[in-house]
Amino acid sequence: MNQSNPPAAAMKPLNILIVDDSATMRALLHRVVGLADLPIGTIYQAPNGLEALKILETCSVQAVFTDLNMPVMNGMQLLREMAKRDSWKDLLRIIISTDGSKLRRDEARELNVNLYVEKPFRPEVVRDVLCQIASADAC
Amino acid sequence: MSSAKSPALMPADLHDALQHALIEVSENAYFVFVEPANAAQFATAVEQVKTTWLKVSVTFAGAFAGAVEITLPERLGNWLVTSLLGMDTEQTLPEPQMFDGVGEFANMVCGAWLSKLSDLAMFELRVPAVTRMAPEWNPLVETRAGHELACRMVSLNDLPMRVLIRSN
Repeated sequence: MNQSNPPAAAMKPLNILIVDDSATMRALLHRVVGLADLPIGTIYQAPNGLEALKILETCSVQAVFTDLNMPVMNGMQLLREMAKRDSWKDLLRIIISTDGSKLRRDEARELNVNLYVEKPFRPEVVRDVLCQIASADAC
Repeated sequence: MSSAKSPALMPADLHDALQHALIEVSENAYFVFVEPANAAQFATAVEQVKTTWLKVSVTFAGAFAGAVEITLPERLGNWLVTSLLGMDTEQTLPEPQMFDGVGEFANMVCGAWLSKLSDLAMFELRVPAVTRMAPEWNPLVETRAGHELACRMVSLNDLPMRVLIRSN
């Protein structure tokens, strides 16, 4: 971790939303986030984009980790809905998906996705992006 | 949704891409070493399996359509999911949790394989389908039908696994 980062005690707890139709993947991300040694507030979970929007409507969230291929409402549909709301413009958007195609990444870029992580991912990738979020939030 | 056609691939490319995808998923996400197995080694390993078998299928569509089908002993499925989640690997998972976990394994293998074929083409992956096979069933007694693009037999944690790619 960068030596210039503020100490963990100075960082506000981060509320995270994990969106994936696989309960296993949600549990894995929950575990990885917990192991990041950062101040984590509440970790919300949703099995699809529609349920994620309901959480975003009512809860304070700083970062959204979302899969792409999901029933009911997929990840891109969720991100398009998020882009319509000015109150969500500062939310960090991280895609975690098996789809690593250039076309999909280009589509994600147009929707202001901050990071595109391809599955399978190493836990430190998630830890590093959380460190960046926590550091920026403390500044 | 637009998609670009990927260039025609030689069979060796499809097999190599599948092998690399298996290794990438197993080692990066599940921290387990994959050992290739030939037909004889696979058959020997299958005969030593005393648990039921699972068949996991992920269908995909896009530049071309097909399915990834993974066959593995239920004991290996349980081990993979408990290992992934940092649980006691001796713990027997409830069926919904184990099925979801092995489905995610197949989902990642399918996605990784498709990504290695072409980073230009887009694919849609369906929700994985997991089936517990009959007690007397094993991969050696199965009559394989349909067009197979690739096949890999491997050993994970000293247990056999077979991965087939079928095209429509």
